[in-house]
Amino acid sequence: MIRRAIALAWLRVRREKGRTILGVAGITAIGALLFDMLLLGNGLLVSFRERLDRSGFDVRVIASESAVIAGPPIERVTAKTAILRRAPSIAAVQRVRLGSADVEGVQAAHHVTVAGVDPDALVPWSMIDGTFPSVGGPPAAIVINRNMSRVFHLMVGSRLVLEGRCGAALHPLPLQAQVSGIAAFQNDATDALTAASSYAAVAALCGESDSDRADMLLIRSNAAAGGADAAAAAARAALPDLHVLTNEQIVERFSRIEFSYFRQLSSVLTAVTLFFGLLLVAVLLTVSVNQQLGEMAALRALGLSRGRVMAGVLCESALLIGIGGTAAIPIGGMLSIWLDHILRSLPGIPADARFFVFTARALAIHAALLVAGAVLAALYPMRLVAVLPIAETLRREVVS
Amino acid sequence: MVAARDISRVFEMPAGPVHALRRVSLAVDAAEYVSVVGPSGCGKSTLLHLLGGIDVPTTGSVMVDGVDVGSLPDNARSAVRLKRIGLVFQRFFLLPMLTAWENVELPLAESGVGRAERRRRTKDLLEYVGLAERADHRPAQLSGGEMQRVAIARALANRPALVLADEPTGELDQATGAQIVALFDRLNADGTALVVVTHDAAVASRAGRTIQMRDGSIVGESHRS
Amino acid sequence: MRRLSFVIPALVTAWSTLGSSSSPALLPDALVSRQLFEREHLSVGETVELSRSASGGAAKHFRIAGVYEPTPDPMRFAQERLELRVHLPDAEGLAASGPPGVPVTGINVQLRDAADAAGFASDVERRLPGVTARSTSASDDRVATFTVLDRFHLAIAIVTLLGSGAFLLALMVMLVDERRETVATLRLIGLTRARLVTQILIEGALIAGAGAAFGIVFAAAAEPAFNRFFQWRYDTALVFVRVTPAIAIRSVAFAVPVGLAASAVAGWTVLRRRTLLQVGR
Repeated sequence: MIRRAIALAWLRVRREKGRTILGVAGITAIGALLFDMLLLGNGLLVSFRERLDRSGFDVRVIASESAVIAGPPIERVTAKTAILRRAPSIAAVQRVRLGSADVEGVQAAHHVTVAGVDPDALVPWSMIDGTFPSVGGPPAAIVINRNMSRVFHLMVGSRLVLEGRCGAALHPLPLQAQVSGIAAFQNDATDALTAASSYAAVAALCGESDSDRADMLLIRSNAAAGGADAAAAAARAALPDLHVLTNEQIVERFSRIEFSYFRQLSSVLTAVTLFFGLLLVAVLLTVSVNQQLGEMAALRALGLSRGRVMAGVLCESALLIGIGGTAAIPIGGMLSIWLDHILRSLPGIPADARFFVFTARALAIHAALLVAGAVLAALYPMRLVAVLPIAETLRREVVS
Repeated sequence: MVAARDISRVFEMPAGPVHALRRVSLAVDAAEYVSVVGPSGCGKSTLLHLLGGIDVPTTGSVMVDGVDVGSLPDNARSAVRLKRIGLVFQRFFLLPMLTAWENVELPLAESGVGRAERRRRTKDLLEYVGLAERADHRPAQLSGGEMQRVAIARALANRPALVLADEPTGELDQATGAQIVALFDRLNADGTALVVVTHDAAVASRAGRTIQMRDGSIVGESHRS
Repeated sequence: MRRLSFVIPALVTAWSTLGSSSSPALLPDALVSRQLFEREHLSVGETVELSRSASGGAAKHFRIAGVYEPTPDPMRFAQERLELRVHLPDAEGLAASGPPGVPVTGINVQLRDAADAAGFASDVERRLPGVTARSTSASDDRVATFTVLDRFHLAIAIVTLLGSGAFLLALMVMLVDERRETVATLRLIGLTRARLVTQILIEGALIAGAGAAFGIVFAAAAEPAFNRFFQWRYDTALVFVRVTPAIAIRSVAFAVPVGLAASAVAGWTVLRRRTLLQVGR
């Protein structure tokens, strides 16, 4: 019965070209939007997770759960770093101290974020040009990002003077620096000005050469000794006063807070789009069925069962939504490029972040929603057919 | 073949009940040709719908080959219509997006007939009604008479023992109507029982027996001499 | 009191067990946000200990003097507003290290002449290198954020409009086609194409206008429900959805032409055919 119903529905869809093309076009547009909202729901998280993993570190230690980046500092960081390095599940530890500075001679509008790290340890960026020497200055070796190179016309070997805007000192001494390399930093926004130097240089930049503090500790776990979870557990045991987060936990936190708007937007728009699309398809099918009541009554009179005629309506719904929903995937892909381009112009968004990331899960949910949608949209038209009074309808068609 | 025993049909309307049929009894034998005549609103079409199992009597019973179709569930009644009864309507009711061939083939496909047998039978039926060369045309490309002939071919698809026709020439001119009547004559001669509802005396006169109805009741019966 | 660790920006990092001999009446006051108050089950008059250090060092005691509702901040709506406020002199000593005094992150200034804000800000930046001064009415990153979000929502609205336009066209074509015999009869009687097109366009305009009006009424009626949901979800007083006259006008300006265009196309599909064909001759 289903095969015959599909065959008849396919004939009807093929031969009523105008209605079919317009209906499928509408479903394609709505379906593309639906698909994109499903991509948006997880896209930024997938992109964020990928960038975190690319940094080479999978655990972070911070002083407070208030902010993953630049919360209160970790005190006595040298000793704490040494403790962590002794743990078998920890392969590498890097302390990071963050500061901000102005480039001397340039307007105050260009504030540079400077990260201080131990040059001998694993660094959280990837070099594009030059090096990051372990033996430093004066002048202090500094690695800059591409944007800083472009804005200040700097290249490897260029010299500059940084005036610190961090720390408690009112007027710290300027830092003489020389560009030793150009690097790509993990969370750089498109317009970010980012640099990195030795830990000692950044401490001096902030006028706190005697302090022993850092804004965070980055840990790379030993995969053979239990991975990130084991490293995190070791760090918690060693430093109970501090907050330890694996990359997974950071992603979860971002999902809950910073990305919450986009998750909510995705959920709300998915629901609204689905409802709207179902309504439109249901209206289209209902009008179509109403126009064919005479034919439906004739088919019933000829001997087609109620279930058979209802199946025809369901198959028509499935065909329209199936064709439109399938076409929506490539259209949605193209639409997502446009929407992604819009959203990536948000201030502070990392340059390589992606809001719309294709995942098999999104595709599966899209397919499931299409199937459910085909059934739901056909419910009312199927009911019209189910309760169709054959004789009365035939009589009415004759009179009209 | 088919027998209506004391059937009544009452329609409940907002303005009050309408007695479309009042205790009508009628029997049609195999290969019999019966016409039903009467003024508009006398219950002719209602009687036809009840005989065909399209509607269910308020009281009484309709027996088709000894089975009370009124007591059957909807699916079973549909199966009786599909395989045992052929229906021809005044408005033809062909599916507009199907060709003549596909319209005739439809009941065969729904009955589960195999492809080869469907092809053969559809070809034979279109030849029978003289429309073999119009098989690929859709209803919009056919004249009224041609559409009715396709409808008749469709009604004959599953070799029904009984064909019920409701005003089959109502939308046709006299000449075309005569073609349809000739086709009915041929059907009956080939052994198919026919019940034709009509207000056209010329059509009614071709039947072996004519039933006169008025106000929901049978008021007379005549036989062709 | 218990040791808690939760999110409080700027001033506080941890609570610790109270062992003070200070009388509550002599302690400095602190106001806590409603969210913090509810989450930690605090009470007005209770004494708490604040510290900026993760280990709880250099702590000071405060008395909870009251509860306040944080000003809704659209840039931070997803964050739990766990915060408190103390008088600036009372915050002295909470800094973990550095010179005496209290480091501040911002200074709000009320000018005698508000129109002079931009000039004053430039003057401050010139006199105090390293300090950023900005008029509160000047655009900043937050405006850029909402500009981008506005463009994003507009993009979605455009796609939705295209999709619904296609559906509307399909429906109008089907509905107008249903009336093709009526249209043909009117043409046979003598009505001109222009007369019938006008009729169809007027019908389309009425339907589109009524639909747009219904849509706006529906959106306005749904506005409180959306706001209540998101205010509950994020525990904030922020207003998320507001149907303004400008938005209503913009919606009507998009919807009505789409409806008219659909009517026009549907009317054309019927009127382009020969009249006699439409009456089946």
